Amino acid sequence: MAEIAEAMASLDKDALLSAVRKGLAANADPMSLVEEAREGLERVGSEFEKGKYFLMELMWASQMFKDAMVIIAPKIKERYGVTASKGRVVMGTVKGDIHDLGKSIVRDLLECSGYEVSDLGVDVPPAAFVDRIRQVKPQVLGMSALLTAAVSQASLTIEEIRKAGLRDDLKIIMGGGVVGEIKASDFGLDYATVNAREGIRLIEKWIAEAR
Amino acid sequence: MSPVKETMSCYERLEVAWNLKEADRVPVAPVNCYIFPYLGGINMREMFLEPEKLVRATIKARELLGGGDNVDPNITTLNHLSMLGRAGWDQATLDWRIWDDFPPKGNLPSLYEKPIIEDYDDVMRRGFAPILYNLKLENNIHTRSADDFLFYEFDYPKVYAAAWRGFWEDQQVPLLMGGRACHPLDMLQYYRGISNLTRDIFERPEKVIEMCEWLMEYESTLAMRDAMVMGAGEVPGTEVIFFINGGPPGMSPRIFDRFFWPIAKKMIDTFVKRGFKVHCHWDNDLTPNLNTMKDMAKGLPKGKILLDLEKTDMKKAKEMLGDSICLFGNVPSTILCYGTPNEVDKYCKKLIDDCAPGGGYVLSTECETPWDSKPENVRAIVEAAEKYGQYRR
Repeated sequence: MAEIAEAMASLDKDALLSAVRKGLAANADPMSLVEEAREGLERVGSEFEKGKYFLMELMWASQMFKDAMVIIAPKIKERYGVTASKGRVVMGTVKGDIHDLGKSIVRDLLECSGYEVSDLGVDVPPAAFVDRIRQVKPQVLGMSALLTAAVSQASLTIEEIRKAGLRDDLKIIMGGGVVGEIKASDFGLDYATVNAREGIRLIEKWIAEAR
Repeated sequence: MSPVKETMSCYERLEVAWNLKEADRVPVAPVNCYIFPYLGGINMREMFLEPEKLVRATIKARELLGGGDNVDPNITTLNHLSMLGRAGWDQATLDWRIWDDFPPKGNLPSLYEKPIIEDYDDVMRRGFAPILYNLKLENNIHTRSADDFLFYEFDYPKVYAAAWRGFWEDQQVPLLMGGRACHPLDMLQYYRGISNLTRDIFERPEKVIEMCEWLMEYESTLAMRDAMVMGAGEVPGTEVIFFINGGPPGMSPRIFDRFFWPIAKKMIDTFVKRGFKVHCHWDNDLTPNLNTMKDMAKGLPKGKILLDLEKTDMKKAKEMLGDSICLFGNVPSTILCYGTPNEVDKYCKKLIDDCAPGGGYVLSTECETPWDSKPENVRAIVEAAEKYGQYRR
């Protein structure tokens, strides 16, 4: 099954899907196929961090993963029923900003890694964040912003979360093109990054620590 | 420090920089867009539909912001993404809720990515209509009267141009541009959606290239037409085509070299061959692609290209491209909004130290000045050029 990881790492979708079909035809455990694909995705992430792959390759890898999951998921359900997620994350682009891309990349990669992501979309008012956090009880909130004005909006959102008594057990991270030069703590954030992979690694660490 | 007498006009200073020589001082040109109407006290509706008011607001705001060697005439209000007059904003991009407010209660006019191109061949076969009249757009075009539509398509550009010609005659400050063009990949990012575009690039690359070639014609022609209407050859600065790439972000050199660069170079060459200058306003971090961009001015006369970079390493850009292309940029937006004049000053000094020696550099913002920047921080950019940018004392 190393073929699956290899195909994913080399961004070859045809080879990936063919290897997945072959594995399923040979009655392999579908969960092991998913793990193989995740291993390939990890390798893509690692190449991204080395500067060999770029954001578009990262996006394409997550799309390939999802394509493979379309084939594998029914077999998992057949064999295991519903599987538990590794953790819960709420995400959204803050009010006043309608940029979707950065958030969607992180969402897709987290989902590929087995996390349950509740995506509120773009231009999300503070009250909607508060409601969803109350409902989903995530370990992490991810906020996205590409406009400078959105950074202070994030600060207002966090204030509302605090007022609702939901801040203490929640880690909050912000991503987006404009957050590179800000000091996270000045805006009530636990961390801010322009790098999707760095953000994901930290989210995974936080969730593992919260278990 | 006693003020140094400036011996050149704004336009001469910029011209010298475009020609990779040292002027009296480093030119400074923050890309002030929405901050002009904001500080000038007009709302978004007035900004978009009443050019005389926009010009007056610009003059007022320039005083608060310390001036600068050129002015952005906010061409986005005229033509956008190859849509017909005002239709681009009507259909694809504008959030109408904010029109009577500034600061906005909703969003600034922003690009809503809408995957309206489903079939590349259909668009190429039937022309721009499948995009322009796509019913997936929340468009107002079908509810507008024919008179209104025709006015904005054919007459409004002349009204707009007359207002900015008046600005030049009154202020003697050149304009940043006469027309603007987007790179076709940028257009596809909005019309096809970045997610679909990524899939297309990997699954059917030849079709993406074919579509880009096709879109290139639309964008180039419209930009040159706008520049002609704005006064190219008569009103200084309007001979410049502002050539945008706002995305897609994160192109690897492999994708950049195959999908972005050949089309970009073709468009640059076309503009220059037809007598225009090209201000390449290219967002994101393009540092890994600088090696390819070394050929940007190849085969073209000197002084025709300027490269305006957002997140790219300016020092590296100067090292690799400085002998052939004038560079422009890139004080970070967040410092302008959340920093202090002292931080801006330090940042500008470093940019000047890295990029100004030998000429061929214009001190400016990354992308554009956010509307909510602190005015004192924008002024600090202009002051830094005067303080650190003197070539001859």
